[in-house]
Amino acid sequence: MKMTNDKHDMNDFDLDEVFAAARRAEPVLSDDFMARILADAAMVHEERSAPTVPTSVETGGFLTMLWSMLGGWAGTGGLAAAAVAGLWIGIAPPDALSVIDEAIWGTSVDLSVFTSGDILGVEG
Amino acid sequence: MTLAALQDNEIPDGALLVAYANGDQDAARILAARLAPRSLSQAYRMLGDQAEAEDVTQEALIRLWRIAPEWRQDEAQVSTWLYRVTSNLCTDRLRKRKRNVGIDTIAEPESGAPSVAEQMQERTRIQALQDALAQLPERQAQAVSLRHLDGLNNPEIAEIMEISVEAVESLTARGKRALAAILAGRKAELGYENDQ
Repeated sequence: MKMTNDKHDMNDFDLDEVFAAARRAEPVLSDDFMARILADAAMVHEERSAPTVPTSVETGGFLTMLWSMLGGWAGTGGLAAAAVAGLWIGIAPPDALSVIDEAIWGTSVDLSVFTSGDILGVEG
Repeated sequence: MTLAALQDNEIPDGALLVAYANGDQDAARILAARLAPRSLSQAYRMLGDQAEAEDVTQEALIRLWRIAPEWRQDEAQVSTWLYRVTSNLCTDRLRKRKRNVGIDTIAEPESGAPSVAEQMQERTRIQALQDALAQLPERQAQAVSLRHLDGLNNPEIAEIMEISVEAVESLTARGKRALAAILAGRKAELGYENDQ
């Protein structure tokens, strides 16, 4: 068993030679590679320097947050149009609307439990 | 006075990194000139491939640029941090190779003149070592490569790997034994058949 190990195992000297071979191998340090490294450094710095949307919302306070929640110009424009339409319908309802109104609520009728001229109800 | 006007070696890496975070591109230039060759050599010794080594170094340095604003000069050395990141990226790639490339797919050295044969044998030994490193547990591969390929001492490796010196000794010893066992099967190919 021991003879087999002696024959096939790598000893420390063999292993050190393999390590030495790897240490002798040196990569090429090209100008192009260094330029890429510096371009990355500039890009990362620019990314960090650029303003971001979340930052402007945070610094805008409550009104900016509310504006954002309402959907900005598009959302707030729709809301304003709906409010104006509601106000106009309240002031001057169109004829078609009164038909619908009657269908739902019925026609109003005036009733009186007193005869005319007996506004005090003394005649029984 | 700009950093470019000062002697490169007078400024610690950490101070340069802080200067870069504050917008000084000259600081990045000096740092890159100092650190990129070291990281590239480390990656090349572990991976044996120029393009892969460049990718690893580029990725490691991008990570460095990104953490620059949070860098605390008194807590860590930039070179130690970069050794750690480069080593981790290399072992990740070695593990992927282990899954993708079988050890039997390596080209056999071709016959030729003695000097060519020696060159081929050297290349075969390097490739065999890289394949064997890929088969080791990650921490063993890192400790062995930092010790025997990058020539660092045990306390330096302990700092890089954030473990004790005793743990480094244990990892390198076990790693070397495992490497010897893996490479034993290729002893003749590596030119050690007639030893002893």
